[in-house]
This record gives sequence, structure tokens and C-alpha cells, in this order.
Amino acid sequence: MAVRPASVARPAPVAGRPFALGRAVEREGVFSWLMLVPGILFLLAFVAYPFFYGIFLSLQERRVASAGTFVGLANFAALAQDPVFWQVTRNTFVYTILATLVKMVGGLAMALVINQQFRGRNLARAFLLLPFIVPTVLSTVAWMWILDPTFSVINWSLLHSGLVKENFSWLGNKTLAMVSIIGVNTWRGLPFYGITLLAGLQTISPDLYEAAAIDGASVTQRFRHITLPVLKPVLIIVTMFSVIFTFSDFQLPYVLTHGGPANATHLFATHAFDVGMSAGVLGMGAAEALAMLPALAILIVGLTLYLRRE
Amino acid sequence: MVGGRRFGERVLRLYLPLGFFLVAMLFPFYWMAITSIKPNRELYSAKIMPLIVHQPTLQHYVDLLEQTNFLTWTYNTILVAVVTTVVSLVLGAMIAYPLARLNFPGAAVVAIGVAATYLVPQPLLFIPMSDVINRLGLSNTLSAVMLTYPTLLIPFCAWLLMGYFKSVPRELEEAARIDGASRFQAMLRVVLPLCTPGLLSAGIFAFTLAQNEFLYALIFLTKSDVRTVPVGAITELIRGDVFYWGQLMAAALLGSIPVALIYSFFVDYYVASLTAGSVKN
Amino acid sequence: MTTRRDFLTVSLVATGAALAPRLAGAAGKATTKSLTTVRESSFIKAFDDYFVKTLAPEYEKLTGIKVGYEAVSVGGMLTRLTTMAETKSGPEIVHTGINWPHLFDQSLVDVSDLAGEVGRKLGGWHEQVQEVVVVNKKWKALPWGNIGQLEVYRTDWFKEVGVTKFPETWEDLLAAGRLLKKKGHPFGFEIGHGFGDNHGWMYPLLWSYGGREVDRDGKTVLIDSSETAKAVDFCRRFYQETMLEDVLGWTDVNNNKAFLGEQISCTNNASSILVVAKRDFPEIAKVTDHALNPNGPKGRYHVLNAQGLGIMTYAPDQAAAKAFLRWLYDDKQMSRWLTAGDAYYAPFLHGYDNHPMWNAEPRYMPYKESLKTSRPHAWPGPVGHAASENVAKYVLVDMFAKACRGDATKDVIATAAAQLKQIYKAK
Repeated sequence: MAVRPASVARPAPVAGRPFALGRAVEREGVFSWLMLVPGILFLLAFVAYPFFYGIFLSLQERRVASAGTFVGLANFAALAQDPVFWQVTRNTFVYTILATLVKMVGGLAMALVINQQFRGRNLARAFLLLPFIVPTVLSTVAWMWILDPTFSVINWSLLHSGLVKENFSWLGNKTLAMVSIIGVNTWRGLPFYGITLLAGLQTISPDLYEAAAIDGASVTQRFRHITLPVLKPVLIIVTMFSVIFTFSDFQLPYVLTHGGPANATHLFATHAFDVGMSAGVLGMGAAEALAMLPALAILIVGLTLYLRRE
Repeated sequence: MVGGRRFGERVLRLYLPLGFFLVAMLFPFYWMAITSIKPNRELYSAKIMPLIVHQPTLQHYVDLLEQTNFLTWTYNTILVAVVTTVVSLVLGAMIAYPLARLNFPGAAVVAIGVAATYLVPQPLLFIPMSDVINRLGLSNTLSAVMLTYPTLLIPFCAWLLMGYFKSVPRELEEAARIDGASRFQAMLRVVLPLCTPGLLSAGIFAFTLAQNEFLYALIFLTKSDVRTVPVGAITELIRGDVFYWGQLMAAALLGSIPVALIYSFFVDYYVASLTAGSVKN
Repeated sequence: MTTRRDFLTVSLVATGAALAPRLAGAAGKATTKSLTTVRESSFIKAFDDYFVKTLAPEYEKLTGIKVGYEAVSVGGMLTRLTTMAETKSGPEIVHTGINWPHLFDQSLVDVSDLAGEVGRKLGGWHEQVQEVVVVNKKWKALPWGNIGQLEVYRTDWFKEVGVTKFPETWEDLLAAGRLLKKKGHPFGFEIGHGFGDNHGWMYPLLWSYGGREVDRDGKTVLIDSSETAKAVDFCRRFYQETMLEDVLGWTDVNNNKAFLGEQISCTNNASSILVVAKRDFPEIAKVTDHALNPNGPKGRYHVLNAQGLGIMTYAPDQAAAKAFLRWLYDDKQMSRWLTAGDAYYAPFLHGYDNHPMWNAEPRYMPYKESLKTSRPHAWPGPVGHAASENVAKYVLVDMFAKACRGDATKDVIATAAAQLKQIYKAK
């Protein structure tokens, strides 16, 4: 079948080949580990110690610049009883899920659009990537101004076009504030999806489409049977990273709302930072940061297993 | 008639969505641009039409370049981003390749371990991380962030590249090996070139994240002349509850220009690699 | 295997690196060549510039010691201080605000001797500042001035509705605000998660109605009282009748912007609005004035935010750092520095009560006057770690914000009480 994506092609096992060189380096296991060692050593050196130190902190009642006492899991128990923690958890999930969905669908649409032939295509591609390029803190400062009710161009346009009668409070209303930070996150993250999926689209040979078209496949069929299967691995990876980034987003909500109004936009990262750094409760802050791990870990392990099965 | 229908379809499938994306993505830049050339008096006036500039001025740019270390920050940012990107891409590719294409003992553990590294939340890391940096005597040097950023970026690059590495048919590599190439050569000459779009994607992403990073840079780079653009701008253009809006927006625009240039250069490369790739297929 | 060996290597390298500077420090102790000061960048740029361009070079000329200045953005000083204290490295002389001398008690050198000298020479310290800088009878920082949070308002618009003098009580202010909002000039008090402009008026409001979060012992939570309920009810009306919904999401920058954009007629802020107005918006500056926070049934209050300098215990040469502070806090230097700060900081020394810097602009006088009724955050509770946690978790701000949003008074107080009990580990 001509429509079968390239990645599905499976090679014969390599090990038993007669011409496999006797040299150790050429052995799959040895070669693999030689390649892996530098990166893994680097990660161990710079993440392992801080990580274990963080766990160590989370098990203590430890205030900034003073000695700590070991309290076991008391910090985690306290978190479980704290309604604000659960609100933050809810916020983070709402934020991550909605923003990721919008970015995924929008990014796919963007990739399909800019994969077509048109004049000025390269320019359009370069311009569309801008939101992702500009330093987040600075673009967020611009959004602060765009969303400001009294100066907001959005409100100004809505009012002057007669669409609404009253200014929206983009950052003052708890629902709109969440919508706003999701919107800004989407604005920033969409191009990453768009451009990465575009790269994925480009690995599809035009011959496949032609062959399918000759076989009488409709546009939708071609999309489902050719485009999606090829994009799937890239889409999964991009989504995974987007989820991680969105889940641990700090700069954007910190600058735009600092978790307000009344904690409606506090996420794990901003709240853990406030507890650990502003309140100086290092143990609790570390515990809260660690609490991010399980949710993400489930997701990652799931995706990892899925990918390795492919 | 047929031409008309095809044109209508093209409007619907291309121009309309393209227009939407361009407006939605670029409006904030338009806003930054006009904010950066509005005099303060106009900026704060809620009475006049906000979408145009009545009396444009370059004063904010002059102030930015004259009163701050902006050019030094830009240089620092690019240097840090380039070094970090190269280190992360190389080490990331070296991790991704065996994980994606080879069978070896411990693969699952490594795969999960690398992903787990990525999950470790930043707010948890930066006190101990600053202790490490401090013990190595690297506070207030660009090396501090050059060493810490790859901790975020290596796992990212590795994971993104795995997807691309997997999509290259193994027969190609096999053929090269039959021709007498070593594993390393096969990787370098056969698989990597085919994954150029992936390498570029990962590179662009790593570069962007590196020049964008805020938290570590804020903690490790506390002297004006070693700062990066985001930290420099936020630290020196916000005084108390007063924002120097014009200069902040000027910094945002000027700060993204180098990256935009680098990227527009790669877009060409991207397309070239695409045509080459599809010919090969 | 790899892991363990790697750990060993890392810790060996780390130990070596850690020892090297210490040895070098010990050897070079006799001749300290430089000191570094870290301070949150001042809202008044001239204040920072005067330090860097005038004071530091003078000191270098005098002693040969170079004094560096590291600027930290506002809101970033606490993070910087935390990292410095935790890693025991960084500048020797540090900026303290709010309750930080208590928070970093163990990392700050006792400067009681210096405080004594300065106090004797300059007429003695104000009583109330000692609550925040003296920890266990030891001075941990030398305050140079207070950043006050006062009412900033438009005199012309207030006159338009027949209010010629700033209202004396919260109720009168609400009445004026009601009229002003009808005229299209609402009030704009921050009720969101900013750094200071929220607590800057909410603590005074709570206190002036007689409400308290926690008692002096730090164990008895007092928030659940009829006084608090009155303050909450007032705040809800104050918000609904005089303000815009947006204030619920404001951070410190928004009220400045809205005031200078002529969107609001009154807010609570430091003098930064007037300073910028004088520079960029002279016609707004003409009709802007300051007033003390209004009176409530139980008095008038302001928030105390004493800015000071302290010395970190890890400083290799504490004597040199002290010598510099002694020189800096001498009238010859301090007086000029405060003047450069354009009366933004209200000093805590009685010798400066009638300092000429106050004469330049009479409208700054309320900031001096407010010192007498200023109390630290979370007062009357203790000024330590729990107070920081309380403030950083926005317990009070969110209590008021939820009430403004429409939640029932008893519910928001109950939530706050539960949070405070957890924070203060009270029964």
C-alpha cells in the first residue's frame, strides 16, 4: 500500500549480521552507552544534587536563613489540608489542559496553512514565529498594557465598534483573568507547535498525496491516513513539552497577575515560589514544588511507554 | 467558473486563516512598536485613539541605548544562547540517537531518567543550584547560566530529536553500514542530515528558551554588565511601581531582532532541506 | 557505579572550589580593597545615582576602599537576600525592608553599637522603627527611611463634587467617592496581588476599625471579630460604590498608570505618582495632593516599611563594612543622600524631623507625619517568619478581595482565620 507512512517500515534485527564488526565500539550496547555518557554525566552533575537537596528540604520544617528540623511528610500533609493548594492545583490543570488543547488544534491549523504554496511564504513563517522569540517577560509587560481595562486596545476597539457597552475587566474578573493568561500563553506557544508540526509535515513526500489523490482519497481521508500518522510522533513530543512548560509556567502569570485576583490565577510554580521565596518557608515551598511531579510523571511515563512501543 | 471556485477555495483554505494568524500573532508587536515610539504624555492619555501615534519620538530608543547597558545585554544574551544551544543539541542528539534507534540494556531506565530530569521543577532547584554555582566560583559569570540552561534543554532536545530519528527508515542506515560505514559515520552522514528540520526545530527552541530564561538569570547574574536582555530590562527599566513602558517595549523589540534574523536565515535553509529531502524520498 | 563516582568527583570539586576563596579571603583580610552594597533600585533614580556617582567615589578617595552597588529590581530583593543567606555568599552590605531583619536575624551582624552612635548624634531613633530592626535587643539593620503609603488624590475633581479638604474618615471618603464615580472619576485602590499598594491601605483599614489578625503573643488568632466584619463590610461597599472591577487584579503598577492616565481620582500609594507627574505631566501634578489615611472608629493607621542597611555575617571583613556604614550614616553624608532622594524616604531620626529636605515640597509632609501612626505588617503579631508567610500568602488581601467579589463576610473571615491558624500554628 502506497499510503503507508515511512516510519512504519521495520528493519530486520541488526545483531546477528555476519558483517557486524567485531570491534567493541560497533556493538549496539557499547556504542549506545558511549554516546549517552557525556550527556548523562552532565545532567547528574547539575540536576542530581539540587534535586536531592530539594527533597531533603521538603522533609523539614525549615525557614529561610535558619536551621531546620526533620518533620517527615508533615509538609505534604499540611498541603493536603490547605484549600489554597487545591485551588492552585485546579488552576494549574485548567490552565494546562485548555492552553494545550487550543495550542494543539491552532498549531496544527497553522502548520497546514503555512505548508501551502503562496508568495511571501518564508516571510510569513518567520513573522509567525515572533511571539515565541520575543523574551516572555517583556511581551508579558506589553500584554499587561493591552489587557489594562482603561487603556486596553481590546476594550477600546470593542467599545468603539459598538460591540459592547462596558469595559471588560480582563485581569480583575476571576474567570476572565484565567482566560487572559491562557490567551497569552496560547499566543506565545502556538508558533512553536506551528513550526514544529510544519517540520513534521515536510517529511511527508508529496508523492504520497498524489498517489492517494489518484486512488480517489478525499482531503479529509488524506489528512487522516497520511498526514496524521506521520505527524503523530512529533505531535506527541511537542504536546508533551508544551504540557511540561505550561504546567510549570512562571514568568507569565507572575508578571501579569501574580496569582490574583484572590488566587484565581496562582499556578504551582508561582505559588511554590511565593511560599518558598517570599514567605521564606523553604520546606513547604520545596514540598509544593515536588507536588508538581506526580501529575507530570504519570503523563511522561505514559508517553514514554507509548513512544517506545512505536 | 472552475478558476473562480478554486480561488474561492484558496481564500477559504489559505488567505483567511493566514490573515487570522498573522493578525493574532502580530498585533502585540504592532502594539509594542507604537508604544515604543509614543511620547509618555500620549501613552497615558486614554482619550485619544490608541492605535496610532500622533507625535512619534525615538527618545525611548535613545534612552535605552544611552542610559542602560542594552548592547552588552544583547551580546551576553546571544553568546549564552549560542553556547547553550550547541551544547544542548550535541549532547541531546547523543542521548536521543541510541534511545530512538538502538536496543541496549538499560534503555527504558535512561529514557525515563532523562524525562524525569526535565520534570524537576525549577522553583525546587534554584537554591541548591545557586549553591553549586557559588561553590564553583561562577556567580556573576555567564558560565553560570551556560551550565544551568542545558539542564533544561538537553532533555528537551533529546526528546524532540527522538521523534525525528525514529521517522528515518532503518534501511538507509543499513545500506550505509553495508557500504562499510561505522555506526558513528552512519549516524553522522545518513540519519542526521535527514533530520535537519528536527535539528533546526530543536535548535530554534533551545535558542529561544535560552535567551528567554528569566529565573536562573535573575538569581545568578546580579551585575548589570553580565545580565541578559530580559533580566536587564526588567531590573533596570522598572523602578518601584513605575514602568518605563517606552523603553521596555523598545527593549522587547530590539531584543527579538537578533533572533528573528537568525531564524529568517534558517527558514531558507529549512525549505532547502525540505526540497532535498523529498527528492531523496 | 557511574552515579557514585560522579557524585564523589562533584563533591570533591565542589569542596575544593569552596575552600579556595575562603583561604584567599583569610590571606587578604588585612587589606580590604572593596565592599559591595546590594539594594533594591530606588524609585528615585537620583538616590541611586548619588550613591554611585558621589558617595562611593568620596569614600574611595578617603579610604582607598571601592564601594560597589548592585541594583535589584523591586520585589526581587527578598529573593536575592534569600539566596545570599542560603549560599552564604554575595555582597556584604544589604538592603532590608518590611520585617527582613527578623527574617534574616541569623545572617545579619549585630550593629547595635553603630545604631547607638548614630542615634546619639542625630537626636535619637523613633520608637516604632525599633520593632522591625531590633531583634532580641540587637540592632540588625540601620534604617535610613520609611516608604510611606498614603492617599493620593485629585484636588480638582474632589472640589468639583464639593469636597475641598480630604475626607477625615473612611465613611466620608466613601461618600466622596460615590459622587466622584458618578462623575466618571472612580477610585482605584489595589485589591490584587501586588507587592505593597494592597497591604498599604488594607492593614490601616482593618486596624482603624479595630480588627487585628493575631495577638502580640503570635498564638491567638483574633481575626474573627465584629470589628473585622465591619472593616470587611465597609471594604465591600467602598469597592462596589467607588471603584472598577479591575482593581481586584491590579498589581502595584496599575494604580500609578490609571492615576496618570486620569482614570482615577484617588488611590493609596507612595509619593511616586506625584514625582512622575512633576516630571512628565505638570498639569496633573498641579492638582495632585497627598493625605493621611482616613480615620476609622478605632483610630488612624499607616503601614511601616523601614528601609535600612545591614551587614551579612559571612562578610570577610565586618569591621570594614561597619566603618563604611558609620561614615555613610554620618550627618555629613546621610543628609545629602536623603536630600538627593527628594523626600521619598522619611527618616527615623529625630534630628531629621525638621530636615530642610521637607521644605522643598510641602505636599510630601504627610509622609513624615504618617510615621507616628505607622505599624509593621501583621501588627500587633510578632514581626517574624509567620508574618512573612502571612503577607506572602495574601491572607488579608484575599479576604477583602473575596468580600468585594460578593462572598459573604463570615465566609471570608472564616477562611482567613483558618489560614492564619495554620500559619501561626495556633489552636
